[in-house]
Amino acid sequence: MSSVKSPYTVPPPCNHLASYKLKNGLAGYTSLQEYLRIAPNGKPAISKPDSKAPGCSSCNGSHQRLYLCLSCNWISCIDHTLSHTRSSLGHEIAVDIERAELYCGTCRDQVYDPDFDRAVMCKYIREMMPRGRNGFEGISIISERSSKRRRLVPGLDSDFSVSKQLICSGDQRAKSCYPLGLRGLNNLGNTCFMNSVLQVLLNAPPLRNYFLNNKHNQDACRKASADRFCLLCDIDVIFSAVFSGDRSPFSPAQFLYSWWQHAANLASYEQQDAHEFFISLLDGIHEKEGKAKDLNKDGRDCQCIAHRVFSGLLRSDVTCMACGFTSTTYDPCMDISLHMDTNSSLSADSPNKANKSSGNNMGSSSSTLIGCLDLFTRPEKLGSDQKLHCQNCQEKQHSLKQLSIRRLPLVLCLHIKRFEHSLVRKASRKIDWYLQFPFSLDMGPYLSSSIVRKRFGNRIFPFEGDESEISSEFEIFAVVTHSGMLESGHYITFVRLRNMWYKCDDSWVTEVDEKTVRASQCYMVFYVQKMLYYKANEELSCIPISSQRDAFLPVVGCC
Amino acid sequence: MSLPNDKNGNMSFNSQLSAHLFSDLLDSIIVDVASECHRTARLGLDCNLEIEEEELRLSAEARARLSDPSNGGDVNGKYIVDIFGQTHPPVANDIFECMNCGQSIMAGRFAPHLEKCMGKRDSPLQL
Repeated sequence: MSSVKSPYTVPPPCNHLASYKLKNGLAGYTSLQEYLRIAPNGKPAISKPDSKAPGCSSCNGSHQRLYLCLSCNWISCIDHTLSHTRSSLGHEIAVDIERAELYCGTCRDQVYDPDFDRAVMCKYIREMMPRGRNGFEGISIISERSSKRRRLVPGLDSDFSVSKQLICSGDQRAKSCYPLGLRGLNNLGNTCFMNSVLQVLLNAPPLRNYFLNNKHNQDACRKASADRFCLLCDIDVIFSAVFSGDRSPFSPAQFLYSWWQHAANLASYEQQDAHEFFISLLDGIHEKEGKAKDLNKDGRDCQCIAHRVFSGLLRSDVTCMACGFTSTTYDPCMDISLHMDTNSSLSADSPNKANKSSGNNMGSSSSTLIGCLDLFTRPEKLGSDQKLHCQNCQEKQHSLKQLSIRRLPLVLCLHIKRFEHSLVRKASRKIDWYLQFPFSLDMGPYLSSSIVRKRFGNRIFPFEGDESEISSEFEIFAVVTHSGMLESGHYITFVRLRNMWYKCDDSWVTEVDEKTVRASQCYMVFYVQKMLYYKANEELSCIPISSQRDAFLPVVGCC
Repeated sequence: MSLPNDKNGNMSFNSQLSAHLFSDLLDSIIVDVASECHRTARLGLDCNLEIEEEELRLSAEARARLSDPSNGGDVNGKYIVDIFGQTHPPVANDIFECMNCGQSIMAGRFAPHLEKCMGKRDSPLQL
């Protein structure tokens, strides 16, 4: 039983294709492979070895859409293909020679056959493999399923029934009682950047489970390490405080002190960037906790809580534009920073437009989060000053670079680059435009398997990553927004608990409507894997209790 | 694309040829796109389209509702009551001990105090 969506569906063959297959099997496809040529831009086409310009055998017309009949190798233009189908029985299936796509003359439509696509892909592989992996990292030539299953890491799965400290109370479902985990954080002096990120961590399901299940034991930590400062211990203190049932705002002073020990260069009273703080914090946690420090390049085996929750893997493909040779590298990432398209004129729209155009003012590709993700994974032509040495051509060539996501994290942080620092103008500015973001996000199209598949024409063929057990569907659970100017702004966080939205503005926690969140100016958007989100919602009805406290049972009206 | 005509208004042969070539190239590109979109749609690779459109619609609706002045709008400002029925002063006035020097400090002034206390003031600060 898998809740993972299949990336594509194979359409059933039309009767004509089915009967062609019955009669000929794969013989036609196999013999066609000899005439398949792959252009440097990666597009497959069919050409005969006599290198005469192909033309229609009936009318000699040589304009577009020439088809090769798979039954008799007759080449015709579209009109003569159709008449050929009518006149010759059983000669319904042809192939578009410019695009290597199957065509059914009776259905008068493009048709699809996994066996044909496989034949095309095998040609790709045969032609390009001798030059090294050549971008084929994502192609499983051996069709056996990868036995590497990435299970959810134990400890991050909430398993509250196991924890002895757990008490489930039906009272807590009463509307008047707000879920635990909501508590204001005092601003200690321009520390809203810190509070906003802390509120995210407090409500990230895998982190919540980790700390509430006492996976970071402060006593054990103190004994094990001579180092007085431990960010995780301080975070554990915050979790205990926030989940204690006490609703008066908490001052994360010890945490600030600890963090300034770690990030000495950021220790100042001035306003900091929340994203910078977030990364610095994860870094601090990793440094202390990471047992296998950078032993594996992809960070996959680092078991520190920061990596287990936030770490993903990015794939970068650089393709030579002259010969098509591709080299692939992988880099771990803790978040994804997305550019907003500053050239897009439609981005600077006003809220009034939303009324008139009934939603299609979002037509601008980058005034949406999806648009930013498209931009992130779009092939980018590297400038002339960035010509890279191509192993195949043995000289510097213009190149195309394309990013994709090889492995998604449990919690996905999408950071919107709203702060532009121009070295040329020696000035910084904030991009204030509204960015639409969804509550449910499917990251499927941005996975390496999807991007690589698209590069090869979306052929029906197994690509590595297709069989992943991890779903690509995410649900939003927190949004950090920045309002005001670059130098003197204010951060607040919206968090979503049991489908209710709450605004965490330093000491003040208020309930807000979903619309407020949708219309807000997002700076960092946090998504968690869908099944973790739904599981977490169920568990919010159960309250874990720390053993250090008295058995404190909140009653209705305590909030 | 304007083409030079001869005296009788007929296009010269070369112009006709280039017009044909251009037309062929354009047609070929159009069919490329059509073929790709056809495959995408048939294989169900665009199944998220409806969900995405729904999200866009909800966001547009949200923005429209909120820009409408007749709506209550969010109450901003620091004199609001939170969900637990509490109010708080603009500057947090909890008092606790500084873990560096032991002094009693008001919460809202803790960061600037700590900065001086930890001696960070004179070191080059990075914004």
